[in-house]
Amino acid sequence: MRPVQYGSGSVNPKPLHTGLAVVGSGMAGMAAAICAYNRGISFVQVGQASELAFSSGCLDLFSILPGRFPKGFEDPFAGIDVLAKKKPHHPYSRLTHAMIRDAFAEFTGFMGSAGICFHGPEQNGQNSLKNQHIITPAGTLKPTWQVPAAMHAGSLAIARNQRICIVDIKGLKGFGARQMAQTLQPLLSSVTAATIAFPGRETAGDLMCERLAWDLENPKILAQFIGLLKPHAGRVDVLGLPAILGMYRFEKLRRTLEQALKKPVFEIPTLSPSVTGMRMKEAFLGKMTDLGLLHFPVAVSEIFPDKNGFVFFVTQGLQTMEVRADHLVLATGRFMGKGLGVRDEQIKEMLFDLPVAQPETRSGWLRSNFFAPAGHPVNQAGIETDDCFRPLDAAGSVFHPRLYAAGSILAHQDWKREKSGSGIAIASAFKAVSSIAENTPARSG
Amino acid sequence: METQVLIIGGGTTGTGIARDLSLRGISCILIDKKDINAGASGANHGLLHSGARYILKDSETAVECRQESLLLKHLAPKCMEDTGGLFVALPEDDDAYIARFPELCRKYGIVCKSVDASQALQMEPCLAPDLKAVFSVQDAVVDPFRLSLDNAADAQKNGARILRNSQVEGFISHNGRIQAARVRDTRTGDTFHIGALQFVNATGAWADKVAAMAGAHISMLYSKGSLLITQSRINTRVINRLRPASDADILVPGGTVSIIGTTSVEIDNLDDIRPTMDEVDTIIRQGSVMVPELATTRYIRAYAGVRPLVKNGSEKGRTISRNYTLKNHEADGLENFVTITGGKLTTYRLMAEKTADIVAGRLKNTTPCETAQLPLPPSRKGEWTEPGRSPRAWTARPRPKDTLICECEMVSESMVDRIVDTLLTEGSTPTLEEVGRRSRIGKGPCQGTFCSFRLAAYLYRTGKLDKKQGFFQVREFVNERWKGFMPLVRDRELARLEMQEAFLCGLFNMEVDP
Repeated sequence: MRPVQYGSGSVNPKPLHTGLAVVGSGMAGMAAAICAYNRGISFVQVGQASELAFSSGCLDLFSILPGRFPKGFEDPFAGIDVLAKKKPHHPYSRLTHAMIRDAFAEFTGFMGSAGICFHGPEQNGQNSLKNQHIITPAGTLKPTWQVPAAMHAGSLAIARNQRICIVDIKGLKGFGARQMAQTLQPLLSSVTAATIAFPGRETAGDLMCERLAWDLENPKILAQFIGLLKPHAGRVDVLGLPAILGMYRFEKLRRTLEQALKKPVFEIPTLSPSVTGMRMKEAFLGKMTDLGLLHFPVAVSEIFPDKNGFVFFVTQGLQTMEVRADHLVLATGRFMGKGLGVRDEQIKEMLFDLPVAQPETRSGWLRSNFFAPAGHPVNQAGIETDDCFRPLDAAGSVFHPRLYAAGSILAHQDWKREKSGSGIAIASAFKAVSSIAENTPARSG
Repeated sequence: METQVLIIGGGTTGTGIARDLSLRGISCILIDKKDINAGASGANHGLLHSGARYILKDSETAVECRQESLLLKHLAPKCMEDTGGLFVALPEDDDAYIARFPELCRKYGIVCKSVDASQALQMEPCLAPDLKAVFSVQDAVVDPFRLSLDNAADAQKNGARILRNSQVEGFISHNGRIQAARVRDTRTGDTFHIGALQFVNATGAWADKVAAMAGAHISMLYSKGSLLITQSRINTRVINRLRPASDADILVPGGTVSIIGTTSVEIDNLDDIRPTMDEVDTIIRQGSVMVPELATTRYIRAYAGVRPLVKNGSEKGRTISRNYTLKNHEADGLENFVTITGGKLTTYRLMAEKTADIVAGRLKNTTPCETAQLPLPPSRKGEWTEPGRSPRAWTARPRPKDTLICECEMVSESMVDRIVDTLLTEGSTPTLEEVGRRSRIGKGPCQGTFCSFRLAAYLYRTGKLDKKQGFFQVREFVNERWKGFMPLVRDRELARLEMQEAFLCGLFNMEVDP
C-alpha cells in the first residue's frame, strides 16, 4: 500500500470496519444502500449526490431499443426480453423480470417510508403493465415506469385523454406553458396554457424553482397562489404546474391546492436544478440520518484493495477516518459523476483502473447527428462484469471477488436513449447487494 | 415579385452589392437559401488583411487588401477592431522567405516594421519564446456578421428587399435573357417567381451550381478551412506565421475570444460542411508551435467554411489565386447574368463595386459608386453579434425585470425582441438559429443546452412560434452547435455531453419525433 499524505487534519487512529462500502450517492448508490439496509448488512456510503439534482424524480425502466431503426416498447418487460436477445451483455440481460420487480418494490418501499410515494402502472387500474407518460418542458411525452405522487395526476390525465391546463410563471425561464401546449396539441385532445405572476415576485426577471418551492411552504403565499390559479381551473379536468410545490411538505401542500381548486394538480419537472430531484435526495438523506446510517457526502479519490476487502480514507472537516470494508459497490457513475474519465484518449475507470469496454479510438466515440437514433457509441462504454455485476479484469476474470459495480458505469447500455437509467441503477444494485448478502452473515438490528 | 436586380447569396459580397446598387438608386431583392452569412462569410477568421500575407504569390490581392483595409477602417469603424498585426518567424522557418518579406511589403506599399523579438514577446506574451524574426503590419479584426448585417440594413433603408430561406431552383429564360428566377421558401416549401432585369450570382462556393442553372459553366474547387475558437482571448494583435500559407498559421483575436486557423482540405460535396477531429488536432498541434498556450487552452467551438476557388488551369488548393472572379457570362450567351465569387472578406467592397458597375452599366444607370466615400451606418441588425458586447451592455445597465435568456453570454429578452424585430423585416418568421446568428445565444459554455429552450419558450410565449416548430428548431439549433463541439470532445467535454444528452434525450425524449 502506498503511504497516504494528509493536510493539516488528524487521522482518527481507530479504523471503521464495515461489511460494505457504497461508493457513489446517485440512484445506484441509493439503491445499494437501501438493499444493504434491508438485508442487515452494515455499510458506509460515500459520495456527493450532486447528480440527483438533475433527476426528473421519475423512475424509468425501459422504453426504447436504440438502433438505426429504434424500437419503442409500451411494455418495458417485453422490451427487455427483445433487448436480452440482441444484447446479451446489457445489464438487464443479467437480471430476471422478478429481480427487477423486487428491486423496484424495495426501492419504492423505502422511498415511501421516507415520504416520496411512487405510482407504478399497476396502480392505474389497467391490466397490462405499460409505461406511463409524463409531460416535459419540451412539450414531449416521456415514457417512464414509476411516477412520484406529485406527477401522477398528469400521467393519469394523459392516459385518460383529459382536459389539461398547463400554467407557467412569469420570470421562470425555460418553462413555457404555451410551448408545451402547442407542441402537445397533436398528441392530446385538449391542452391549454396560462401564465400567472408569482405572488410577491411579480416583477422578478429570473425566478429559481427552489426559491419558489420554499415560498409556497408559507401559507400566506400559498393562499395567494391558489387565488391566482382558480380562474384557470374552471373548464379543465386537471392542472399542470412547474415542479415548485414545496420542498419538504410537498404532499400536504399539493392536497391543500387540490382541495381549494377542486381539481387534481400535477407537477412537471423543470430544467436543473430540479425540485423533484432535490426532494428525492433530501428524503433519502433524511431517512438515512433517522436510521443512524453512515453517509459521508464527500468524494473518495483513492481506494486500496487487499485480500480482505478495501481500505480508503474519508475526510470531513479536519477529521480523517480510515474505512475498512469487506465489500465494495462501485456506483460512481459516468463522466459527470467522475466514475469514468479520459487519459491519452482512452476512457478509464477512475478508482481501480478497471478495464473499460470502449470504441477503439476517439474518432469512434460520437455520431455527427446529436440525436442519431442509434445513440453515440461512447455511451455504451463502461465496465464489463460477470452475472453478479462483479467487474472483470483484462483477462476476463473477476477483478476482485468482493468488488461489485452498479448503475450507469456498466457497459453496453445507453440509459439516456433507452430510458432505463433508474431501472439499471436500482436492479443492478439490488443484484450486487443480494450477492453480497449471500456471502455475509446478517447482523441483528 | 418584380425588381430590377435579383442578388442571389446573402454573404458579405451579396449584402455589399445590395447596398451598392441601392445607393445608386437601383431597386433590388437579395435572397439567400438560408440566412445572412450562413456560408463562408460567417465561417472565417474575421481578419482584415493588411495585404502582407499575399505579397509573395498574389501581389494584386496584396495591393487590393492594403487599399481596402485602410478604407474600411475609416468607413466602418464599428465593425472593426484596429488591433494591428504581427508576422512572426520561428527557428524552422525559411530564411530566404523572411529576408524577402520586408522588401516585398515596401514594394507594394504595405506598412511593415521590424520588431525586436524581446519586444514582440512583451507585446504578445503568448508567443513562443524562440522567435527568429518579427514584423508589425496593419492587420485588423472585422466582425463579418456585423459587416454583412449593417450592409443589409443600409440596403433595406435605401429600398432593397431581403428574403431569407429562399433558394433558387431554376431560371426562366427567353432568347438568352433570364426573365425570372424560380425560388422556393425552404421553410414552407412554397415556390414563387422573382422577375428581374439583371441577376447577380454571389453564392460563394455554390456559384458553379447556380451558374449551371442559368446555363453557364464555372470550374471550381472547394477548399474547406476549419477554425477553432478559444475560451478566452489570448492575443491583443493578429498573429501571422511568417511562412508560406499553411495550416493554423493565423491567430486572430475578436472581442473576448481568439480564433486559430485554418486548414485547407479539398472537398467535393457541399452538403455537410463540418470540422473534423483530425483537423482540430492538426490546428492545435501546428498552432501551438507558434503560440504554445494553444496546446492547453480550452476551446469553445470549431467551425468550417468553404473557400470557393475558381480553376483557371491545373493549379491546386493553396496555390490557386485567392483573388476574386467576376464573370459577365457574355461568352456563355447570357446577357443579364453575372457571377462574383472567391476573393477575400477584406476586398468585399471592391468586389461589390466592380459587380455593381457591370449591372448598373447594363441598366444604363450612370450614378457612380458611393461605397468608397459613404461611411457604413451601424444598424440594429448587427448590434449584438460581437463577443462580449451583450454582457457589457447588461452589466452597464442591469434591468432585473429583463430576463436573461442566455446566461453564458448575457442575452436578455429585450435584446431578443430587438433582434426579432429586425428579422421580421426580412420575410419569413424568425427561427432560433437566426436569432442565434445575430446574437451570442448558444455560443457560451452551455452551447445551447439551456438557452435554446429558454429562447424557444420565450418565442412561444410572445407568439413567434407555433405548433411543433420550436421542437424541430431546438433540434436544429443543438445540432448546429454540436457540429462545432463534436470534434473538440476529449475528456472534460464528455461530462458536458452527458449532461446535455441527459436533458435532451434522457428527460425530454427529443431524439424521438413527437
